Amino acid sequence: MDKILEVKNMDVGYSGKTILKDISFHIKKGEIAVIAGKSGSGKSTILKTLIGLIPPVKGDVRFFGDTVDYFSERSFCPIYKRIGVLYQNNALINSFNVYDNIALPVKMEFPGISREIEEEMVYSRLAQVGLYGVEKLFPSEISGGMKKRAALARAMILNPEIIFCDEPSAGLDPITAGSIDDLIVSLKNLFNITFLVVTHELRSIRAIAGRILVLKEGKLHYFGNYKDMMDKQDLFISKFFSGGKKE
Amino acid sequence: MVDREGKVKSFVLADNNSPGDISSLLKEITLLDKGSEILVDFKNVVSYTPPVIALIGHLRKERDNIELQNISEDAFKFMEMFPGKPESGDQGESVDPEPVRYSGFKKFRKELKIFLVLFLDEFYYLYRFFTGRGGGVYPGEIRKQMFLMGYRSFPIVSLITFLIGVTISISSAEQLNQLGANIYLADLVGFGMVRELVPLMTGIILAGKIGASITAEISSMDVMEEIDAIRTMGLIPEKFIMVPKLISITIMIPLLVAIADFVGILGGILVGKILSGIQPSIFLKEVFSAIGLSDFFIGLIKTMVFGWIIVVCSGYKGFTVKKSAEGVGNATTESVVLSVSLIIFFDCIFAILFY
Repeated sequence: MDKILEVKNMDVGYSGKTILKDISFHIKKGEIAVIAGKSGSGKSTILKTLIGLIPPVKGDVRFFGDTVDYFSERSFCPIYKRIGVLYQNNALINSFNVYDNIALPVKMEFPGISREIEEEMVYSRLAQVGLYGVEKLFPSEISGGMKKRAALARAMILNPEIIFCDEPSAGLDPITAGSIDDLIVSLKNLFNITFLVVTHELRSIRAIAGRILVLKEGKLHYFGNYKDMMDKQDLFISKFFSGGKKE
Repeated sequence: MVDREGKVKSFVLADNNSPGDISSLLKEITLLDKGSEILVDFKNVVSYTPPVIALIGHLRKERDNIELQNISEDAFKFMEMFPGKPESGDQGESVDPEPVRYSGFKKFRKELKIFLVLFLDEFYYLYRFFTGRGGGVYPGEIRKQMFLMGYRSFPIVSLITFLIGVTISISSAEQLNQLGANIYLADLVGFGMVRELVPLMTGIILAGKIGASITAEISSMDVMEEIDAIRTMGLIPEKFIMVPKLISITIMIPLLVAIADFVGILGGILVGKILSGIQPSIFLKEVFSAIGLSDFFIGLIKTMVFGWIIVVCSGYKGFTVKKSAEGVGNATTESVVLSVSLIIFFDCIFAILFY
């Protein structure tokens, strides 16, 4: 399988302090990789770094085989056309209704696109995420689960090759959280979309993880298959995955 | 509460100490010579309240020469599980670091740099839009902003400028009547409103009305990660959000100024008729003989610049918000203060340039 994303020896920090040290991993096309770890271990920082919101201090990051220069807008902007991001609190634009939120990347990427084509794209994404009849409503008028689905539809609208998800099931009840996990897995299976998911929800990890990166205090503690990891005799991993009950 | 055993420098803690007692004991221990041996006995303590636990934890970490006696096993276990404030040099787990805080001139220099970059960026994107090179304005956004920023400002701008016209007419009419120069009320009101008061008052009203709303909108978007979302869609938030606002204010300001000039002079006409007996037609004729088209355009240019100041200042404060609810409130207040200050400063510059 092709490597969609490759990170080598990446350090991340700001204000003179290192948050992430010597991170190396890669993501292959069509897989769901999960970044797990305790709160404060640097999970969201990795994601924010990869999507260009916090530039790394050192290291090599390759998207689709090409090295990315995070300090050059010209170098990084084309990457945004090929990725999608699902934020922890959805980040839907509150002054736009659900339809306009999902249509936003289309309208800006293809100015002058016909209304019919735009509607076709938006409604097909709404169907993919199982969201019906809410397109005229504003984000404040729909439930948390619907917001997640709408945000996922927006992240998918330009057919990205990889979608980054920050805590997709955070703040949702177990049933809704489970449906979001199922949605991610079915999108991967049906459309071969690659996902990099940051989460510490054990249930989500079990449901979606193909490969997993476990972070411990800003360092990569484990990177590999989820199933292999569970067979590994590692104190931190056993403690983390037993909900802190094992010593 | 605490028994002291004279020369031994020992303290026996009683049960049910208040936080104040604990603080007093700690102060007393701190004041003792650093070299002296200290014994703190907990034999009478039955309930280990949070301040007692905190005292034990603190004494264990801060001084080597303090002996703690008869502490219950449960209290020890609790302290092992929740160690409290780390000792100096202990960095603990990886956490987000304290941001670098600037103060004084450095802070001013840093903020000025951000402001100028944003200012130049916005006008660069505006230039690209008007020359057809930039495109990329969200469809319908300009019309929406024209409605929000312009149309909705008409009532308040009209009311305030009408009242200003009435006020300066009332305060001037009596003086002019005494001099027998009541017809010059029209010159005074016309010139004063068109060249000075309409631009200034419109600027100040818009700073409070739309400046505050722009800052609150952008800073809330920043707090809710909407700005990050726009950026990761491959868009430039400064362009996506600010350019429609700059275009809208540029279109709406001439309309606002025209209405405000008309309504302000209308206030003068009303007072002139009632207090000085000047016929409206004569009043208007005198106004048009006193002011020319150039005066109207000077007032228009001034208001236009004030409008841009408001949009840029409010955008700057919105994009540099400290991500918290308090930060949003502060940014909104600061945006209005900054806009009004710069409006008055530039009004002074215009006065020097045009008179």
